[in-house]
Amino acid sequence: MIKSQKRSKHTVNAVIYIILSVMAVVWLFPILWLVVRSFQGEKGAWITTVFPQKYTFANYVNLFKDTTLFNFPKWFMNTFWVAIFTCLLSTMLIMMISYTFSRLRFKARKGYMNVGLILGMFPGFLTMIAVYHILKVFGLYQSHISLILVYSAGSCLVYFIAKGYFDTIPRALDEAATIDGATKNQIFWKITLPLSKPIVVYTALTSFMGPWADFIFASIIMKDNYDKYTVAVGLYKMLERENIFNWFTSFCAGAVLVSIPITILFIIGQNYYVEGVTGGATKG
Amino acid sequence: MKKLLSVLVLALLVTSIIFATGTVETSATKEVVNLKVWASNEDQTMVKEMVEAFKAANPEKIYNIDFGVVSEADAKARYLEDPEVAADVFAFANDQLKDLVKAGALYQVSGKYLENVKANNGEGSVGSCTLNGKVYGFPMTADNGYFMYYDKSVFSEKDMMNLDTMLSVAQKAGKKVFMDLSNGWYIASFFLGAGCKLTIDENGKQVCDFNNEKGVAAGEAIKAFAANPAFITGDDAVLTGGMGTSIAAGVSGTWNANAMKEILGVNYGATKLPEFTLAGVPTQMSSFAGYKLIGVNKLTKFPVDALSLADWLTNESNQLKRFKTRGMGPSNTKIASSPEVLAAPELASIAQQGAFAVSQNDVLGNYWSPAEAFGAAMEAKDYSTSVKAQLDAMVAQIVQ
Amino acid sequence: MNLKDYHLMNFFEKFIYHLMNFFKNLPSRLWIFLVKFSKGFIRFFVKLTHNTVSFFLILKQGDVWTKLSFVFMGLGDIVRKRFLQGFIFLTSEVGFIFFFFRFALKYLKDFGTLGSVVETEYIDEATGIIMYNTADNSMLILLFSVLSLSLIVLFIALYVISINDCFKTEEAVKKGFSTKTAVQTIKGLGDEDYHKTLLTFPTVMVVAFTIIPLVFMFLIAFTNYDANHQPPGNLFTWVGFQNIKDVFGGNQLKSHTFFYLLKWDFVWAFFATFSNYFLGMILAIMINKKGIKGKKLWRTVFVVTIAVPQFVSLLMMSKFFGDSGPVNLVLQNMGLNPIRFLTDGKIARRMCIIINMWVGIPYSMLITTGILMNIPMELYESAKIDGAGPVKGFFQITLPYVLFVTTPYLITQYVGNFNNFNVIYLLTTGGPKSLHLYQAGETDLLVTWLYSLTIQYQDYNLASVIGIMCFIVSAVLSLLVYNSSSSVKNEEQFQ
Repeated sequence: MIKSQKRSKHTVNAVIYIILSVMAVVWLFPILWLVVRSFQGEKGAWITTVFPQKYTFANYVNLFKDTTLFNFPKWFMNTFWVAIFTCLLSTMLIMMISYTFSRLRFKARKGYMNVGLILGMFPGFLTMIAVYHILKVFGLYQSHISLILVYSAGSCLVYFIAKGYFDTIPRALDEAATIDGATKNQIFWKITLPLSKPIVVYTALTSFMGPWADFIFASIIMKDNYDKYTVAVGLYKMLERENIFNWFTSFCAGAVLVSIPITILFIIGQNYYVEGVTGGATKG
Repeated sequence: MKKLLSVLVLALLVTSIIFATGTVETSATKEVVNLKVWASNEDQTMVKEMVEAFKAANPEKIYNIDFGVVSEADAKARYLEDPEVAADVFAFANDQLKDLVKAGALYQVSGKYLENVKANNGEGSVGSCTLNGKVYGFPMTADNGYFMYYDKSVFSEKDMMNLDTMLSVAQKAGKKVFMDLSNGWYIASFFLGAGCKLTIDENGKQVCDFNNEKGVAAGEAIKAFAANPAFITGDDAVLTGGMGTSIAAGVSGTWNANAMKEILGVNYGATKLPEFTLAGVPTQMSSFAGYKLIGVNKLTKFPVDALSLADWLTNESNQLKRFKTRGMGPSNTKIASSPEVLAAPELASIAQQGAFAVSQNDVLGNYWSPAEAFGAAMEAKDYSTSVKAQLDAMVAQIVQ
Repeated sequence: MNLKDYHLMNFFEKFIYHLMNFFKNLPSRLWIFLVKFSKGFIRFFVKLTHNTVSFFLILKQGDVWTKLSFVFMGLGDIVRKRFLQGFIFLTSEVGFIFFFFRFALKYLKDFGTLGSVVETEYIDEATGIIMYNTADNSMLILLFSVLSLSLIVLFIALYVISINDCFKTEEAVKKGFSTKTAVQTIKGLGDEDYHKTLLTFPTVMVVAFTIIPLVFMFLIAFTNYDANHQPPGNLFTWVGFQNIKDVFGGNQLKSHTFFYLLKWDFVWAFFATFSNYFLGMILAIMINKKGIKGKKLWRTVFVVTIAVPQFVSLLMMSKFFGDSGPVNLVLQNMGLNPIRFLTDGKIARRMCIIINMWVGIPYSMLITTGILMNIPMELYESAKIDGAGPVKGFFQITLPYVLFVTTPYLITQYVGNFNNFNVIYLLTTGGPKSLHLYQAGETDLLVTWLYSLTIQYQDYNLASVIGIMCFIVSAVLSLLVYNSSSSVKNEEQFQ
């Protein structure tokens, strides 16, 4: 009895390993292709063979050497700072909002939640033209601050993943603390937040990542000011008709360089996020 | 709730106070002139040099000139995004002229500048910046059209006279002939060559007869071309990627000249477009004649200086400089007919093809998408409906 | 169907049962929703009228100071020693008056016509050059009018609040109650009014960056702001419901395009969301299973694909599957015909869904994994005691739990995919362009169509109408499903 159970368990596991391996290959292949093409020796975006015939480091070097117009290092730093501040601001905002909706009860709560839900469903760039002009009125034309503000304002509305997480923290903890005389403010900072490390990390990560990948809004704000571009806009520009021949391979190189720190962050954060809260805290 | 609202309003009001006080606008005195110039990526260094020379030539004023990178193709879109912060002087492709004038973007060229433009440039160039009898730009280059690049090791000059010959030679050599048919700009060459027209009627609406008898014949020719095994399509990247190896000839313009030269080396060849078979008769392919113009922003705060700078950037010596630095075909008649210019194969091809080219002035925005759709259908060998029916649908959309 | 039969069904039967119920109930749910919505609306107006009436009553009943507060906001508060509140009200009043005359009046006076001063030219004698007089800019007039109107509305609210506050203070003093001091109010912000503290800043952000632009865009749908009416050279003006009529049948081509793309949009969102969700869940469960080694490694592999920005990975995909791309090269070398992955209408649609799986599954895997780890072990333990095997454990415990926590996520995903600009635009730019669609292609979603209309064709008013439609669909969908889902109903229970 036990032996056959063990054997079927092993077969199941073996099958799973095979499926996982195949999927891993499928998933990683485009990334590998990107990395390979970043070393491509031939110029331009189209090659007549599946893999390049010539290889070179020049594409990476170019990104840092040829900065007259495509100032990759500057873009990188721009994006870095925008991302950090967006991350801070967004995380703060989202935590505030989701905690309020999850824990606090007040009259207009349902209404607020619904309004927030609806507004969050709206694709961002519909409002871009108006937002651009409003920002211009406040003097934030071609400014990184406007990027930070807009990204954060957008993230405000995507709060329910965090709220869903807060919902799984048992109320009993809050009630015990209130009996001990804590104000809601104290509960938020001293009890709820420390327990929510995973979701804080998740929120911080996603809001940090946002600015690196957004090329629509950043290009609307920055327009023709190449120096202030973020990495996403700059790389996207490399693909325009007149640039692509000379810059496609550098585009690949730039993309690889951008992905590396994000990947590292993700891997580190993944520990936090996935390990999550151990059974102990939820048992309550 | 109430406190919430009060804090909210307070915040908004404070911010509105800040901006309501506004920034004190510095009034422009005659001495200091602030201008912004847009030029494409590759032109930046050259334009900066030209501007320095302009400053030196006009020492009686202080010029603060900013630069932005906006390619000629993007100029219209960038301008319309926010006219107030658009450049005072910018380069644009002449097919955008109509839309820009409609949007009130361009400062009319008048006075002595108008005389300059008319005196220095050929009819085609001047026509490309004229609308309803008024001139709205300074011609800069006259080479924004297209022609045929080819690999000399595969084709002889005689082969290049006829499209069908090219296709069979290419097939024998195991190579392809490239043309981006799913693109209204290129596909027009067949229709215009057949004698069809794109015009504007007195109400400002587009008139298109691509679905008449000649148009249908042209459509059939396109269909045959796309169905030929030696035909290949794609975008510029495909052309530059495959030229020399799998592609032996391709339709493109001067912006790819450097890339082509690099790839083909001694086998670099360029010539006008070939003849295609229209209902059994060899007919020369036409094309759109494109020009790049420099325009002045109507909202500029320094109209006289901006016009003067635009005039400078397109004067004789700078057009020569532009040709020498970037290989761009000048619109200035004197320079354009100089032996140096005529010696460059791509510019000679443009000049040759120019004899058969049609101005893009009368093409409205609604033309491009349907034309692209028709080309895409031919490339996809979608014969579910007859060519005539597809052309009818296309024209119906164009004249919307 | 009685309770016993229900429990005897296995998971899939239960699922089908719930699904059928859902669709059967949909019409009545919609109706209940509409009723609730209109009831709420009516309640709002009743309350508004009631408040207005009591507001004017105060004018009659209040004492001298309160009456004066109608002109000098906050005076009543200051007189009764509530300095902080009174001061805030007074400064806001000053600020508003300043703002109104300096800025708002300029634009509001043109709101009705959206500008009437047309450009004129004249010849400047000194230089012989044509010069222009400045004209009105319709777009800025519209935008700043909206801005001004919203601020005016908010100010009115503040005004009402200040009056009510003064009156209440007066009453309290009359009756001998002590009023809340400033210090007490601030302390209260940390406790019972905590929700106000937390929500203030986010609300300001959202109003400024989302609501006002939305109103602006909403209004554009009622103008003729298109390629032929571009400021600054031209003025545009109100055309009422003309654009909406066009989309719903007035203009054959536009109407047909809209409904064609709408259908595809729904289908696409459905397949994109559920394929990612279930496959992601299966992947998470596989990795999470006891006995599988290297969990972290497997997860990292999939996480790496998220790290590459979407516009890079999607662009690579579009080149990968291009007509002359590597996949077709390999096919050709094998002697087969190239497949037009992204340039043939039908195939392109399927490719979009498939490639979207590549993009989305790592995300749903991560989310599901986190949730799986959160399921308290005791649930499984007690189930085992009751004699349930692993499979039953999955269906009775895991799946419901995961579904509960991720229902909001699912809805977000569906609506997000409905409006998924990135994937479609970067893969195919909405192409291949089609002759029977107005400025659109076979894989265009409403949002990508909107984008081309705005950026390439400057058809702003049509784009606005589509934007409104998108918004309505998204809003209705999310409200309907979210509010009636068990996750909301059982919220308290679950906690």
